[in-house]
Amino acid sequence: MTVIELKNVQKTYGKGAAEVQALKKINFKANLGEVVLIMGPSGAGKSTFLTIAGSLQRPSAGQVLIENQQVAELSNKETDALRLNKIGFVLQAYNLVPFLTVKEQFELVKRVKKQNNLDQQTLQKLLQKLGLTDLVNKYPSELSGGQQQRAAIARALYANPKILLADEPTASLDSENVTEVGQLFKDLAKDYNKAVILVTHDPRLEKYADQIFTMMDGEMIKKQ
Amino acid sequence: MFLAIKEIKKEKLRYGLIILMIFLISYLIFILSSLAVGLASENTQAIETWNAKQVILNKNANVSMSQSVLTKTDLANVTMSKNEALLGQTPVVAKSKSKAQVSSQFIGVKKNQFIYQDQELIAGRKANSDHEVVVDQAFKVKGYHLGDQLKLNGSAQKYQIVGFARNAKINIAPIIYGTLPTWKKLRQGIPDLRASAIISRQANYRENHGNMKTYAINDFINKLPGYTAQNMTFQLMIGFLFVISLIIIAVFLYILTMQKMHNFAVMRAQGIPTSTLVKATVSQALILVGAGIVLGLAATFITAKLLPAAVPMSFTWQIIASGTVGLFLTGMIGSLIPIRSIIKVDPAKAIGE
Repeated sequence: MTVIELKNVQKTYGKGAAEVQALKKINFKANLGEVVLIMGPSGAGKSTFLTIAGSLQRPSAGQVLIENQQVAELSNKETDALRLNKIGFVLQAYNLVPFLTVKEQFELVKRVKKQNNLDQQTLQKLLQKLGLTDLVNKYPSELSGGQQQRAAIARALYANPKILLADEPTASLDSENVTEVGQLFKDLAKDYNKAVILVTHDPRLEKYADQIFTMMDGEMIKKQ
Repeated sequence: MFLAIKEIKKEKLRYGLIILMIFLISYLIFILSSLAVGLASENTQAIETWNAKQVILNKNANVSMSQSVLTKTDLANVTMSKNEALLGQTPVVAKSKSKAQVSSQFIGVKKNQFIYQDQELIAGRKANSDHEVVVDQAFKVKGYHLGDQLKLNGSAQKYQIVGFARNAKINIAPIIYGTLPTWKKLRQGIPDLRASAIISRQANYRENHGNMKTYAINDFINKLPGYTAQNMTFQLMIGFLFVISLIIIAVFLYILTMQKMHNFAVMRAQGIPTSTLVKATVSQALILVGAGIVLGLAATFITAKLLPAAVPMSFTWQIIASGTVGLFLTGMIGSLIPIRSIIKVDPAKAIGE
C-alpha cells in the first residue's frame, strides 16, 4: 500500500542568475513494509528530497501526498501534526535532545502526542530488540554513536508513524554496526509495517533495500 | 515546564550561575528597598502615628515645622476640634549622666489633645508634668532607662524619662515628647509663642488666614529636609537594578536559546509544536527567577535579623510582594526576547547538519 507519493516535485532556490534547481520533476512512491534507499553523492539533492518528503518544506511545484492527503492543502499547524503522527525522523548525529534521558525522549513525545503511541509492552520489546533496555536512564552524551542512533530510531518509532525517514543513518557507524542497523531497518519495515526511507551514500545498505533510487543533479532514477 | 525542569536538572552549573546572578540582584533589590522604606519611615514614623491629614504652619517657615512659629495673634481666630492638636517642635541634644548624647527632636504637646492621648508606649507612662518626658525607643537601645534624668541643650534643667514610645521618630531623629510650656522654654526669646504647628486629622481642615498656611500631609512630608532626594536616589537605584536584571535575564536566555537552535529545529522536525518550545523557555525563565527570588528573600531575611538595630531596615510584606512581582515581570519580559528566534526556527535545518 502506497503511503507516500511525490508527483512531479520540483524545488528551486534563489532567483535569476543565482537560481538553483535542487529537485527536477521527481516522481517517487514508497509502500508500507518496504525499505527504500535514496542514494547519491553530496549535493545531488538528497537532503532537499528528505525535507520535502518529510513535510519540512514545500516544493516549488508538484504534489506531495501522504496517505493520499495533499500536504500543500494543510496549514502549518496541521503539517506539524502530520509530522508528529505520521512521520518519524532519524537524523544524523546529535539528533536526540541532549538534556533528556532515553526514557524522557519518549516522555516528550507522549506529552505532545497523547494517543496512538506504542504501548508499554511494544516499547519494551522494541527497546530489547534495539539493545536499549539497560540504557533508558542514560543521557545521549553517555551513549556511543551506535547507541544514540538506535535510541533515535526508538524515539522515532515510539510515536508509531507510518513513514520512517532516516538521514545518513550509518554516517558515524563502523562496518559491524552498519550491518546491524541495515538489518534492523529491514526488520522494522516488515515487523512494524512501516515505509522506511533511507537517504544515504553508503552502498553497504543496498542489500537491505526493496527499492533503490539514485539522485544526481536533482534528478531521481530508479535502479532496476 | 517538563523541558524547562529537565534542562535545568541536567545543566546544573550553567543554570546555577544564572540563578546566582538573579539571587544577587534580587538580594540587592530587597536590601535597598528595605533600607529605602526604613529610612523613609524614620522620617515620617511619628506623623503616621498621628494619622495627620493636614499641617498648618507659619507661611514663611518654608514648610519646616521646626522653623515655624505660631503666635497668640495667629491662633486668635482658629477653631479647633478634637481632631486638631497644637504641637511645638525644636531640635535638641539630649544628655544624661554617663550616657551618649542623642540628637533628637523635642515635641511639645497638650495633654487634652490627640497627639498626647494617642501616644503608644512600650514601657512606662505618659508625661504628667513639665519636667517629665516620653522618649522614642531609640533611647532605650542607646542605654537609657526609665527614671533617667535628661538635660536638653546643656541647660541645667533636668527632665525625667517616664515612658518609651513606639515609632516616635521624625526626620530620622528620635522624639522627646514633653509639654508645650517646656517647648516654649527651649524656644525662649520669641514673644507670645504658642506652637509650631496645628496638626489636623481632617482632610478638609483649612486655616489660611494671617501668617498661617495649610499643607496637605504628603506635601509636608515631601518637603522634609532630604526626604525627596533620598527617596528618589533609592528609587533610581532600584529602577536600575530592575533594568539590569531584565538585561541579564534577556541576554542569558538569548544566548542559551541560540545555543539550542539545532535542538529546537530537531524537535520542530519531529512535530513538537512551537508553543511547547515557547512555553518551555518562558517557564524556564520563571523557574530561574523564582529560585533567585526565594534565595534573595531568604538572604534578606537573615540580613535583617543580623543587622544592628541602628540600621533603619524595614523588610515588609509590601516590599516582598512588589519586589517579587517586579522581578517576575522582568523575567517574563526578558524571556520574551528570544521567543522571536524560536518562532522562526526552520525545522528543515535539522536535516543535513
